[in-house]
Amino acid sequence: MSILQGKRKRQDLASALSASMTNEERVIYNIIRGKKEMGIWQGDIKRETNIPDSMLKKSIKLLISKTLIKEVVNIQNKSKKVLMAMEFEPSKEITGGEWYTEGRLDTGLIDALSDVCLKLITRKKVATRDAILEWTRTLGSEVFPGGVSSGQVEQILKVLVMENKIQEVNSTGFGDFSSVPAGEVCFRLAKKVGTNVKVGAMASIPCGVCPRITFCTPNGIISPTTCQYYQKWLDF
Amino acid sequence: MVTQFGIKLAVHLITNHFGNLVAVILSLSRLSDLFCIGIDIEVLCVQKVCENLFSHGVLTLDQLVRYSELTKDQVKNSLLVLVQHNCCQAFVSAPEDDDDGADRLRVRTQYLVLFDNIIHRLRFPKFLETVSRKLDEECVELLDGLLRDGRLTLKQMVDRASQGKGKCFMMHLIENAVDTKVVREILSKLLTARLVERCPAPEPVVSTSFKETTTRKRGAKAAKIFEPPETLEQRVVEAAVPGDAIRFSFTADMKSKVDRETNSDDDEIASVQENDEKEEEILWRANFEEFIRHLRHKALIENIRTQHDDGTATVLSAVLEATKTVEKKVKMENSVPLSLDTITAEVMKTDTGRTMTIDRIRASLSQLGCSQRMIVDDAYSIDLKKIIERAQNEEVESIVLKRYGRDAYRMFRLLSKDGCFHDTDQIAASTLVEKKEAPKLLYRLWKDNYLYMEKVVATGVKQITILMWKVNKPLLWEHVLDEMYHAALNLSLRMAFEQEKDEELLNVPKDKLKEPGPLQKKYKRLLNVWLLLGSSLTKLDEALMLFHDF
Ligand code: SF4
Repeated sequence: MSILQGKRKRQDLASALSASMTNEERVIYNIIRGKKEMGIWQGDIKRETNIPDSMLKKSIKLLISKTLIKEVVNIQNKSKKVLMAMEFEPSKEITGGEWYTEGRLDTGLIDALSDVCLKLITRKKVATRDAILEWTRTLGSEVFPGGVSSGQVEQILKVLVMENKIQEVNSTGFGDFSSVPAGEVCFRLAKKVGTNVKVGAMASIPCGVCPRITFCTPNGIISPTTCQYYQKWLDF
Repeated sequence: MVTQFGIKLAVHLITNHFGNLVAVILSLSRLSDLFCIGIDIEVLCVQKVCENLFSHGVLTLDQLVRYSELTKDQVKNSLLVLVQHNCCQAFVSAPEDDDDGADRLRVRTQYLVLFDNIIHRLRFPKFLETVSRKLDEECVELLDGLLRDGRLTLKQMVDRASQGKGKCFMMHLIENAVDTKVVREILSKLLTARLVERCPAPEPVVSTSFKETTTRKRGAKAAKIFEPPETLEQRVVEAAVPGDAIRFSFTADMKSKVDRETNSDDDEIASVQENDEKEEEILWRANFEEFIRHLRHKALIENIRTQHDDGTATVLSAVLEATKTVEKKVKMENSVPLSLDTITAEVMKTDTGRTMTIDRIRASLSQLGCSQRMIVDDAYSIDLKKIIERAQNEEVESIVLKRYGRDAYRMFRLLSKDGCFHDTDQIAASTLVEKKEAPKLLYRLWKDNYLYMEKVVATGVKQITILMWKVNKPLLWEHVLDEMYHAALNLSLRMAFEQEKDEELLNVPKDKLKEPGPLQKKYKRLLNVWLLLGSSLTKLDEALMLFHDF
């Protein structure tokens, strides 16, 4: 409700202000507003209107100072800021979605939310999706001032599965699973607490992670008898 | 799947093992030359010539002589060594329907290199350890003799034991000749466990014609998408293996009825392995298949233990132990179905399973993926292929993590799990990777053959190219396996190099090495190097089996 009221107010304000606008300002403002939540780049306005550069810049500045339009960072190209009428919220294509702040991936938020989910699963050994959602909701206001949506929590869980930190499994109803009815989907840590991450056979030797393996031959310039990676590895 | 570096590793192993064997009639270079040429020809032929004979990687004695530029005797001797060590199998191709009269009469013996058996030489220590754990030290000694000499008769085994070749072989009997009965008993134990078998028929008759649908080129460019029903190698090996009843038995008689109307040089080679009717003359060898089965089971159980818990591992172990003799092949996709009662009885037999309740066993079976349907039918069968695939995925993913970092790891896992194409933006969004970084990482993975990419051109107001990515498992698995063979070869070469470099240390008296000083320091370093290289190779070999044998 309040958003709608806000919009209406702004529109009233806009029409009031419209009278005080110069011709150029009005043209520019209408173009920007027409683009809605997609916004438009300054260069594109110039192409559409043929207004001289200096005039265009001055008008845009004025429109911004009148809080009729705003500048928004574009995730696709950070140097090409997008102009948007004040009443619109930038689209996902422009912001990059709810994980992006100022055009940058908010790794702080991602890490914090991952941490909260992992802590809960570690403590409870197994946790259902609902339990995790509930937990983040109660904790949300304290840890995340901006709040987190259930969609965000869901995605973090997916990413943690992708990262092999947690597993999505069906409860057996036994042992660790005793708190969850058998058959229900739940999450648990991928590695048992206290065990190290299993490093594969290849990943633990130089050749397994060697960027030059395709150039390495038994008697070539790069070979296992001359290679530096081995030298370092066998330096006891 | 025989890859380029797989062949290089095989050649290296042969050179390495037989180079130091005094008993081998051949000089090292000759043997390895023959081998290189033999195998190169095989590959070359597969790639270039479509002739039936070559495309299956087999050669006759005359062809070998011609290609290797060795004398006939040299080639014959080399073949003898290879046959003795189970690295080569002779066979006679059955006459084709369209052969004319003369062709039908001609007996042509051909030789096939058994790639797998050569690579198995890398895992002899594992085979010995298996016997040591399952049986006793006497069996270990006997198997050691078989692995060293390839094939032995009972009489040779007795001689070997009498000479006290093995250091700790029945100490009390060393002075006297060992009783045949004693050795026979030890051999019996190994036969009951199916770890030793009769040698295969020297020259089975095998049809070499492949119908259109089953034709498969061997070598590096092997069929990638589907497993063909049968390769010539499999066909030859199968034809040579005696039936189960005689394969593991002393008494049953086996006569291989090979048609020998024309007497050729090949007969002489075959005669080495010809079975005599007398029990003492039967040739025995280690049964690699059973060892690999055992190692596969071990890998399956250990994987389940880390993924779930000890109880679930116990249940799987009991199921596999109970059904191992009825497994038709090593690479069983599902375990042989058993009822809950049978499984419970088997679990109860084990030390760790004695305390498990039926409910606990049922829960473990459900963790092992047994479905509702199996519960209704009371026929539980475990998806073994899935466990192996999971372990393979983990191995490849850990390479990706170490080489390309955590973001790439997430993207790779997403693609590997979904198994279908995704576009760059979609991947970045679902794995929460910075949109600018995602294309760079994907490109690196693609450049190194870890990802498969296709360009899709979308025409709208503007024409844009969208990059679609996916993990192509058959292709990638072959690539990873080749890199693994390459890495194993490198480890082996480096071991030889380190030994050569510090050779003088091996001639220094032990006392001197105990004194502190530069010599001792050097010696300690060499020991550490050997330990690290050796254990890495053992571990890498497990990964090789995971991708090739399991
Ligand atoms: S031997 Fe050295 S250069 Fe060759 S692949 Fe291994 S690490 Fe790389």
